[in-house]
Amino acid sequence: METSLIPRSLGQPGLLSDIRAFLAVVRREWTIFTRYPSWIIALFIWPLIFPMMYILTARALSGPDESGLAVFIATTGATDYIGYIIVGTTVWMWQNIVLWDVGFALRNEQMRGTLESNWLSPTWRFSYLLGQTGPQIVSMAMFIGVTALEFGILFGVRLNGNPWMIGLMMLAAIPAIYGLGFAFASLVITVKEANTFVFLIRGMVMIFCGITFPVAILPAWMQSFAKWLPQTYLIHGMRAAAFSNAGVNELLPDLIPLLSFGGFWLIVGYFTFLWMERRARKTGAIGQY
Amino acid sequence: MSQFAVEAHQLVKKFPARPGTGDKNPSPPSPLPEGEGRRGEGKKKRWQFWKKEPKATFTAVSGVDIQIQRGEIFGLLGPNGAGKSTTIRMLCTLLEPTSGTAHVNGYDIVRQANDVRRSLGTVLAGERSIYWKLTGRENLEYFAALYHIPPAVAKKRVDELIERMELKDRANELVEKYSTGMRQRVAIAKALLARPPILLLDEPTLGLDPQAARNLRELIATLKQEGHTILLTTHYMEEADQLSDRIGIIDTGRIIALDTPEGLKRRIEQKEIIRLEVSGWQAYIGEKLLALQEVENLVAHRQAEADMWEVSMQATDSRTVLPKLMESISQNGTRLVNMNIVKPSLEDVFIHLTGKALRD
Ligand SMILES: Nc1ncnc2c1ncn2[C@@H]1O[C@H](COP(=O)(O)OP(=O)(O)OP(=O)(O)O)[C@@H](O)[C@H]1O
Ligand SMILES: [Mg+2]
Repeated sequence: METSLIPRSLGQPGLLSDIRAFLAVVRREWTIFTRYPSWIIALFIWPLIFPMMYILTARALSGPDESGLAVFIATTGATDYIGYIIVGTTVWMWQNIVLWDVGFALRNEQMRGTLESNWLSPTWRFSYLLGQTGPQIVSMAMFIGVTALEFGILFGVRLNGNPWMIGLMMLAAIPAIYGLGFAFASLVITVKEANTFVFLIRGMVMIFCGITFPVAILPAWMQSFAKWLPQTYLIHGMRAAAFSNAGVNELLPDLIPLLSFGGFWLIVGYFTFLWMERRARKTGAIGQY
Repeated sequence: MSQFAVEAHQLVKKFPARPGTGDKNPSPPSPLPEGEGRRGEGKKKRWQFWKKEPKATFTAVSGVDIQIQRGEIFGLLGPNGAGKSTTIRMLCTLLEPTSGTAHVNGYDIVRQANDVRRSLGTVLAGERSIYWKLTGRENLEYFAALYHIPPAVAKKRVDELIERMELKDRANELVEKYSTGMRQRVAIAKALLARPPILLLDEPTLGLDPQAARNLRELIATLKQEGHTILLTTHYMEEADQLSDRIGIIDTGRIIALDTPEGLKRRIEQKEIIRLEVSGWQAYIGEKLLALQEVENLVAHRQAEADMWEVSMQATDSRTVLPKLMESISQNGTRLVNMNIVKPSLEDVFIHLTGKALRD
């Protein structure tokens, strides 16, 4: 081994190095993810359980001859009430899982003690958060794929639309959903009681965004509030794409607000991160758990 | 390039006081000379409607000055809660000082934080600083990328360090299956990855068995020979004594003495240390002994055994003290079991400086 008297650093700063560091975070996260085998079970069970609750409730309420369903179809315009419900519940689960996975990504590392050792390196710090998002999106895509598959097989739910349009809606939702996750991830590092926000946010999505019903049945004030939640547009747009064969033009009224909220939440997420980083350097929060 | 590897000037770190929980320091809160629970100056009046109490602060480090030469091993020695880790955390840019400045490898720790990070290899909280769900090798490859080492160089460097840290046989096993000593070696390999000129080691031998601790101390000595500057913290006297070129003794956030190990010991060279093992020790005996002109810095420790005490004191002339000592001890069921007269160690220097023992 080389022994020079003043060691010369092997590091080579530069954009390429920062990209490689980012990819290393992605790879690390993926490797660790695959080493917890329980996710496979979760992947097959969870997509069924949560929507089932609503589907069974819907069945019970629709009466023995299912006459109630006619009313539901009339108010929602949906022909397939199961498909209608699973779009809503899937969006809710997506946001919920992102809040836990991405939201607690840094917090978990803080508790394990590895956050500080990452922070010690000269890597762009937002990479640590951004890098965890890659594997999360992949696992989420699997989750949504399994949902579609399971309900297709078990309940005969069929898409009546262009899968690419559904994909487009989901893609457009990524900035908003993950931006919120970033903001949240930064908050839980310094504000220990931030868990409450998860319950607040998912509660709001559950009630305001119409996960199992059309927003139109809400009182006026709730409807105007729903306009401020990006998930409302995502659910509406996905239903249109999946069951009414909507094209890009019909989806624009949902796509545009969704992307605008996405930009907004990404910026909020990034600045919350910067704020947290600064604050942590003052209070020492990174090293506490 | 600056003359010093590490240079700190009047570093101060105040934390917001923790409400309720108080310190994580297990010893009872001693009234500090200053700082402790001191109220901040308070925000401007016009913010009052927001109802923000002026924040109470806790001073963990209060005015530390250090200058570490290139190629030197500098030991920061102090009891729990003295501010060792806080000082290291400021130097490695995890914490921003409340006031004061510091340069590492010539770079300002606040304004040139990334250059500081490139110059440093830091070991904090040893085994907790690596990923247990990754193998030793995966850990090192991951951190090599974070330290911006080009892949081809990184591969060689990781192999080299795995070999050197004697991890070769198990490099492809998950870290969760390693022993504490092996994890610590991975953590140190991680700090060495980018071959940084300066190493900061926070209690590197904490929790290691004696053999592993000895090996690690040998490694640290070798690293110095290879040209690394090393700042290490410890609350083991022997470790600081054996490894360090110079030692700073830190207590309640201040450096109270800074010298070579020999220089520190010379300060109380003319003194002798009398160590006693006593059963049935009474506090009043201590007071009586301290009243003697020749005796100072008496410290009594209850031992694990029922009523055995270890008592040590510094005496200017043991010959005149001994008769008086025997006389006052063999009374009221107090019994002398063992006695030694020894040369001062660093521990005694610490007691001399602070009037309290380093470890409780
Ligand atoms: N983030 C923090 N917020 C509030 N107080 C803190 C924080 N970090 C450390 N302290 C307090 O500052 C003091 C100094 O802590 P520090 O960790 O620097 O001590 P140390 O010398 O490393 O001791 P140890 O031997 O226990 O590691 C302690 O009383 C500790 O409780
Ligand atoms: Mg410490």
